[in-house]
Amino acid sequence: MLAQDFKSFFETSKRNGIILSFGGDLSENVLFSLGEVLKLRMIQGETDATIAKRVFSIFVEQAQNIIRYSADKLPGASTPPRGMISAGMIVVGVEKGRFFVVCGNEVPKTDAVILRERLDHIASMSSEELKRYYREKLRQPPDEGSLGGSIGLIEIARRSSAPVEFDFHDLGGERSMFCLKAYI
Amino acid sequence: MDRIQISATDRSPRVDFDFASGRFQLSGESYPEDAAAFFGPLLQSLRTYLAAAASEPIVFEVELAYFNSSSAKALMNLFMPLEDAAGEGRAVTIRWLFTKGDETIAEAGEDFASDFSHARFDLVETSQAEC
Repeated sequence: MLAQDFKSFFETSKRNGIILSFGGDLSENVLFSLGEVLKLRMIQGETDATIAKRVFSIFVEQAQNIIRYSADKLPGASTPPRGMISAGMIVVGVEKGRFFVVCGNEVPKTDAVILRERLDHIASMSSEELKRYYREKLRQPPDEGSLGGSIGLIEIARRSSAPVEFDFHDLGGERSMFCLKAYI
Repeated sequence: MDRIQISATDRSPRVDFDFASGRFQLSGESYPEDAAAFFGPLLQSLRTYLAAAASEPIVFEVELAYFNSSSAKALMNLFMPLEDAAGEGRAVTIRWLFTKGDETIAEAGEDFASDFSHARFDLVETSQAEC
């Protein structure tokens, strides 16, 4: 039964075009290793170099978002973002010939409100507007509470071939489930 | 000031800041675990160097195959004081190297270039194959 269940799990994943999926505690080291196998997989599949770079770039930004902003963290990181370990999911696959990267993690409800606003704004922009917005944000100091440059989401949108899809699901209590899907 | 030389890792660039000759180099890939921790000391040193009353020309060379958004932010932080120094009359050249066919890095270079009006920003295509 065990082998059969897993066989159908793998087959379902394959059928859905999934080439990499990870769920659980994510650290920078895990990110790096997953990124390495993703690169190899794309080289082996003779993915166009520009597409491969975009996929990798979106993968890194999404994974770092999970590590930095997931509400479900293992305690212990003394100097964030170094040493942070956070729970989430990240999946890379191919759908109708297009790569996609989707991530999911829990966020505090208070963050969800701000995140939705930012994503609504970003998803409504044309590529030219995204470019301008990115350059503007690059020159500004990072937003409060940011552990990076506050430009990861813009970077994801810029490297995508369609507006990013996102969704929130109320988990009750203080948290929401956040999902973001980008097509390349 | 003492020269800063840091070897590249799989995810952080090689650094060579040779203050005495005014030559600065960053090359490799850049998505360190903590971009602020990696680039912070470099920015500090660059600021100290620029504050000293020297006048030799500066050549700042960037040859990155990939960098994440936190590193982009850090690069901008390094570029801004260089542009300011150029505005005050210092000869500053940024050389942005990209491999032939690498649209992503070429485009990123164009993005940065548009923020410079005093410093010279050269987009340099190289033919070296990607590894």
